[in-house]
Amino acid sequence: MSPLLDVRDLTVQFALPRQGFFGPRPVLEAVRQVSFSLEQGRALGIVGESGSGKTTTAMATIRLVEAASGQVMFQGEDLLQLDDEAMRKRRRDVQLIFQDPYSSLNPRARVADIVREPMDLMEIGTPDERRARVTELFRLVGLRPDQLNLFPHQFSGGQRQRISIARALTTNPKLLVCDEPVSALDVAIQAQILNLLARLKTELGLSYLFISHDLGVVRHVCDDVAVMYLGKIVEMAPRDALFDAPQHPYTQALLSAAPSLARRKSRGYVRPVKISGDPPSPINPPKGCAFADRCPSAQDICRRVQPLLETRGQTSVACHFPG
Amino acid sequence: MSALLQIEDLRVTFNTRHGPVTALDSVSLSVNAGETLGVVGESGCGKSITALSVMGLIPSPPGKIAGGAIRLAGEDLTRATEARMRALRGAEMAMIFQEPMTSLNPVFTVGDQIAEAIMLHQKVSADQAFRDAVALLDRVGIPSPDRRAREYPHQLSGGMRQRVMIAMAVSCRPKVLIADEPTTALDVTVQAQIFDLLNEIQRDFGAAIILITHDMGAISEMADRVAVMYAGRVIEQGLADDVLDLPQHPYTRGLISCIPALGKGEDTLREIPGVVPPLHLLGAGCAFAERCAHRAPRCDSEKPLLRAQGHHPVACHAVAEGRI
Repeated sequence: MSPLLDVRDLTVQFALPRQGFFGPRPVLEAVRQVSFSLEQGRALGIVGESGSGKTTTAMATIRLVEAASGQVMFQGEDLLQLDDEAMRKRRRDVQLIFQDPYSSLNPRARVADIVREPMDLMEIGTPDERRARVTELFRLVGLRPDQLNLFPHQFSGGQRQRISIARALTTNPKLLVCDEPVSALDVAIQAQILNLLARLKTELGLSYLFISHDLGVVRHVCDDVAVMYLGKIVEMAPRDALFDAPQHPYTQALLSAAPSLARRKSRGYVRPVKISGDPPSPINPPKGCAFADRCPSAQDICRRVQPLLETRGQTSVACHFPG
Repeated sequence: MSALLQIEDLRVTFNTRHGPVTALDSVSLSVNAGETLGVVGESGCGKSITALSVMGLIPSPPGKIAGGAIRLAGEDLTRATEARMRALRGAEMAMIFQEPMTSLNPVFTVGDQIAEAIMLHQKVSADQAFRDAVALLDRVGIPSPDRRAREYPHQLSGGMRQRVMIAMAVSCRPKVLIADEPTTALDVTVQAQIFDLLNEIQRDFGAAIILITHDMGAISEMADRVAVMYAGRVIEQGLADDVLDLPQHPYTRGLISCIPALGKGEDTLREIPGVVPPLHLLGAGCAFAERCAHRAPRCDSEKPLLRAQGHHPVACHAVAEGRI
């Protein structure tokens, strides 16, 4: 069976301001030849730090950011080749949940109208059917029907994220892009939303493209994980393989940097893998491996030759000295 | 011997449009030299208000310290004059804020800003203060500190800005360092660097650190002792190991079990239902009762007090009655 989503060599470039009056416009490559695929009913996590290109990758996949080149096969059809009207029709199958539940809901609209709007725009069903669907979705995401006519400010952050999820589900999408859906929420509320997303995935057979910087969250929600660094995927593997046996030094560093209850100051915990500094600038990326300057095991070749993503067992890793 | 910093029965109120609300109620905390106290809780639990009270930075009005004492090496800060507080802030105690970009002045170089802090508290020349600033930048791990000292905050990355904040905070070797969510705005690898730096500085200077965070993982890696706050009160307090391994309060248990772990976890996270209640709606009973699985009639009528149960103090009727 072919995957629901198959992305090949996706590249996104942003033009920067001209250098001088007649100078050239430098180009920033935010996403560099990224390929991945996603089966129906599975969740792919994209992890990375700010500026790694994880959000841009997701946005380019669903054409909210223009890709410079590449292919996005969704159910056998290249989304990047569709004309505007065809793409608009396709959007009912791909929906999005944003990070900030405060700025992504119209403060002047009642929440029932917010959730119904995608159906109005796509002209799905009769008005009565749409109303019934909104009520059903409210129940599905754990809100009460008597809250339908309230305004967004009358809800807490977690409840607002539930409203965003209900809105994203109105058109019965197959793919849900979740862009840091819980990072604006308190940890106790995070758990509520993560459990909801996990339940919806099973009940509705949804597929997620799940963007997060939090490895614990990704481990909880995702079946497969891709780690991005400076616009490229540096490691991609099924969840357990990635967390139990990370191959790329950057993945190892990420795992050892994430705070965990298993590490105790009282027991003299000292971080095993330390990396210093910040990621290099994407405007002028290094010639070799982008991580070489921060990598504890970098050799001469790492600074000269860019490593390619190669398969080792279940894992694909882009590193000259993996393991 | 009494602790270096001792907060006793602190009560802070704010006048709001809902009338006066109690933001902190009978908060007692202490921290010794060379020790890290972690203060943990969700937004709105009073963690930052506690820190601001110690620094004498509660906006007044509308806020006011309505009772209790804050003793720094025996001196009660709640009775100190503003001039005395200004002499203490920076020299004896310092604070690192969450967002380094808004806490640095955008129109001065970072070297000048650190030098200014040094000159406020020490009798040194401007040249010497700037050289000290460069040495501090080097100490907090900023590469080419000579050049960086002459740059403006916007030219630095988020992690470097937070290092500048730390350099400024430790410039006079304060006895108490308060870090209020110092890494929330930073990436995880940079967060790890900042945590390691704070630990190093503590070893060098022997400072007492109060780390305010919502992240139990950060508590585990950084803290010797922990205080869990909820709705303006300390509800559980003890050695980090005791609180993390044998949490007693249902809220603490919830906070620990709702973290998606890096290791193999269960499929469903334990959730804490509901949200922190607004302070003006707190009733006579336990503030957590609404969200608690062990709620009994007594929880709605009587506030549980912090008292020793087993290993460490906890404020919960259900624990006191042996129901959990």
